[in-house]
Amino acid sequence: MATVGLFIPCYMAVARPDDALHARRVLEALGDTVEAIDGLCCGQPAFNSGFREEARRVGRQALRAATDVDTIVVPSGSCTSMIRHYLPGLFERDRRRTADIRSRRFVEFCSYVANHPKRESLELSLPGVVAYHDSCHGRRELGITLTVKDLLGSIGELEVRTLTHEDECCGFGGTFSVKFPEVSREMSACKLADVRQTGARVLVSADLSCLLHLETAAREERLRIETWSMAEVLARALP
Amino acid sequence: MSSFRERAAQDIEARGEDPGVLPLMRQLVVDSHAMLSRAPADAAQRAQDARTHAVDNMARLHAEVREKLAERSIGYHRAASAEDAVAIVELLLGSAKRVAKSKSMVAEEVGLTHALRNARIDVLETDIGEYIVDVDGRGPSHITAPALHLNRARIRELLNRTGASLDTDDPEQLSRYVRDVVGDYFTRCDAAITGANAVIASSGRIAIVENEGNVALGVSHPRLHIVITGIEKVVADEAGALSVLEVLAANATAQPLTAFTHFLGEPLPGQERHVVFVDHGRSAIAADRRYRDALRCIRCGACMNTCPVYRAAGGLSFGSPYMGPIGAVISPLLWRDGRADDLPFASSLCGACTEICPVGIPLHRMLLDLRGDAVEDHRAGNRVERAAWAMWARSLGSGRRGRMAERFARIGIKAAGLAPGFGRLVGKRLPRSGARHSLDMLRASAPQAEPKPTTVPPAIPDTGLPDLFRARAGLLGVTIAEQATLQEGDRRLKATAAIASTGSVVLTGEMANRRELLAARRVVVDLDPATIVEYPHQVEPYLGDGDALILTGASRTADIEKKIVRGIHGSEELVVVMGEGEAERRGS
Repeated sequence: MATVGLFIPCYMAVARPDDALHARRVLEALGDTVEAIDGLCCGQPAFNSGFREEARRVGRQALRAATDVDTIVVPSGSCTSMIRHYLPGLFERDRRRTADIRSRRFVEFCSYVANHPKRESLELSLPGVVAYHDSCHGRRELGITLTVKDLLGSIGELEVRTLTHEDECCGFGGTFSVKFPEVSREMSACKLADVRQTGARVLVSADLSCLLHLETAAREERLRIETWSMAEVLARALP
Repeated sequence: MSSFRERAAQDIEARGEDPGVLPLMRQLVVDSHAMLSRAPADAAQRAQDARTHAVDNMARLHAEVREKLAERSIGYHRAASAEDAVAIVELLLGSAKRVAKSKSMVAEEVGLTHALRNARIDVLETDIGEYIVDVDGRGPSHITAPALHLNRARIRELLNRTGASLDTDDPEQLSRYVRDVVGDYFTRCDAAITGANAVIASSGRIAIVENEGNVALGVSHPRLHIVITGIEKVVADEAGALSVLEVLAANATAQPLTAFTHFLGEPLPGQERHVVFVDHGRSAIAADRRYRDALRCIRCGACMNTCPVYRAAGGLSFGSPYMGPIGAVISPLLWRDGRADDLPFASSLCGACTEICPVGIPLHRMLLDLRGDAVEDHRAGNRVERAAWAMWARSLGSGRRGRMAERFARIGIKAAGLAPGFGRLVGKRLPRSGARHSLDMLRASAPQAEPKPTTVPPAIPDTGLPDLFRARAGLLGVTIAEQATLQEGDRRLKATAAIASTGSVVLTGEMANRRELLAARRVVVDLDPATIVEYPHQVEPYLGDGDALILTGASRTADIEKKIVRGIHGSEELVVVMGEGEAERRGS
C-alpha cells in the first residue's frame, strides 16, 4: 500500500537492532512498503543536556529525511516527542515553519499501527503474560497510553497486567541516569518492585529506552525479567 | 558547596532500606485527586486564571493594593532584595525583641529568622513542623510539610534535646508539646510575623491559610503584625483569592480547605500591621516570557508530591527552601550566584509536575530552557562535556550517513576516553540484549499480587446543599446539631454563610475575633441553611468588607508523619447548629 519511512532510533540501532526488523515486519504485514532510515538521531540526548545548538545540528538531519516521505514511523515515543514537540523550536523563525511541517510527518509506531486502515486484518495472537510499562513521553507528551493499551489488548491469548503505579517514571531520563545514578537507581528500583508484584516476567513498552534502562537495573538486582518493545511483541504476535 | 548529586546520594545512603517519603507522597497524591474531584470541574482553570491575571498585571495591582492598604491603615513596603527585606522587617520591629513567626516561604527565602537572630532578636517558629526543623537545623524538606523527612522517634529525640522530657513517640503528644511551647510564647512576645497566600487588590484584605491556629494568634497580636510575602501574591479580588485557596488546600494536604482561612481587614485597635512585598529577582522572572508563568505558583507542593526525583532524593537534597520541580525552576532564577544551577538537571523530565500543577506551569519545559541557558552562559557543562557533545554533533550532524551502530560505536570509543560518563551513555551503558528473546518467558509468569483493597469514599448526598454541608462537615469531625445546650466555656457564634462542598462556615466582623475563638472550650456556630453556597468562590458576597474567617473543621496539624491531630491552638470541638430555631441557651 503506502510507502513509509521507518526511523531507526540511534539507541535501537546500537542496543537492539532486531527491534527495527520487528517494526519492519509489522509494517509490512499491514501491506506497507518500508524504507529504513538509519544513521540519524533526533537530537534529544544533547537537547536534554542543555546543548541546544548541537541538538539542532543533529536533529536537522532527521528532519531532512522527511523531505520526500509523507510518513515516517518512529518506534520510540521519546524520539517522536522530541521531533514533534521540541525540535522545531530550535530553529529560527523562517526555518521553524518548515521544521514544524516536517516534524508532523513523524508518527509514533503504535499510533501508526493502531490507526492503520488495515489494522483489523492483522490476526494477532501471542500466548502468555506481560506487564505493561507506560513511558512518560508516551503518556504525557504524546497521550498514547490508551492507544498502546488497546493495541496490546487486541492480541489474542495475551494477558496484560497493569502496574500499580503506572504513571511513575522508570528513572532513565537520558543523561539524567548518568549524571544522577544514585537517584536514578532508586527510581528504577521502585519501578522494578512494581513490575515484580505483577508476577509477569516480560515487561512491554512503546519506549525501548525505558526498557533498556530497566533491564540493566533488573540485571543488577538479579531479577529474571525480560523487556520487549511493542514492535517485538506485535511482530511475534503475527501469524 | 555540595551538589545536588552529593546531597541526594548521601540521603539515599543514609536512608538504607527505609522508603523515605515515597509511601506518604503516593498516598497524598491519591487523596488530593479524590479531594479535587469534589471541586467543580473548572476550579483549576479559575485558579490558573486568577494567578495569570496577578502575574500579568503586577504593576497595576500593586498601585491599587497600595492605596487600599493605606485606606485600612496597613503599611505597604517593598523590598528589592533579601537584604532589603530583612532590613525593613528589622526597622518595623523597632524595639520588639521577641517575635513569633509563622510559616512563610518568602521568610525562608530571604533567611529572615537567621538574620533576625543575628540581630539579637529572639524568633520562635510557631508552626509545629517549622519548630521541629528549626531544632533540627537542616531546614525544611517540603514547602507545606517541613518536617516530612523526620520520623516520630527522631522528632521526640530532637524535642528532648531542647529540654522536653517526652517519654512517647505519639504524634499527638509530640504535637501538643510544641503547641504548649508556642502557646506560652504567644502570651509574652512583642510582635508576630506571618506570610500571606494572597493580598487582594480590590479590597486591601490579606488572605492567609493555616491549620494549627498559630497564624490566628499571630495576626491578632495586640501590638504588631508584619506580613512578608512575594510581590506576585497580589490578586484582583476575593473570588480570585478563594479560587486559589480551594485548589491550594486540596493539592497541598488533600483537605477541602485549611482549618482556618483568614481574611484580614483593618488592624485591631492598638495594633499596627504592615505588609512587606519582596521582589528578590521576581521582576526579572516576570520580564522573561519563558519563565514568567513560574510566578503563578501558589506553593501547594503538588509538583514535589508527585515528583519521582523528589521522592527518591528527599527535599533536603535540593539545598534550597524551594525543592522539587518548582524549586528546580525558581531557585536558579532567584539566586543568580550559581548555588542552584545544577537543580534544573536533577529531573528525568517525566512531566508529572506539569501534569499535576493546578495553575498550569509547564515545569518540565522550563527545566529544559533553564538547562539550555545554563550551558549557553557556561554555568553548566564543563570543558570535557562540551567537547564530547561537539564531537557527537560533528559525527551525527554531518550529511554523511553510515549505519548508526557503527557511527555510534566510533563516538562511544572516543568519548569513553574523553568523558567516561558520556562514553558509558553512548557506548557501554546500553546493554546488547533482546536479540534472542524466547517465548518461554511469556509463560513463566507468577500470579499477580493481590491489590490492596481501596477504601470507597462515602456516597455524596444529592438532596440539596444543607445535606451536602452536613456530610462534608461531618467528615471533618464537625458535630451537626439541630440544637445545642450551651455549656461553660462555649463560644457561640453566628455564621454569615457556609460552604457545602468543603463543610466550612463563614464568620465575619466581630464573629471572627480569633483570640476569643481559640480560647473557647467549644465553638458553637449557628447557621441559617438558606445561606449555604456550594463552592468556595461563591462565598464572596458573604465575606463582608472587614475581617472574615472561614472555619473548615477544627484546628489541627499533620506535621508529624502526616498523622492528623485535632485541637492544636483552639478547640477540637466545633458544633454547627442548623435548624429553624436558634441554639437553646440552657445549662450553667
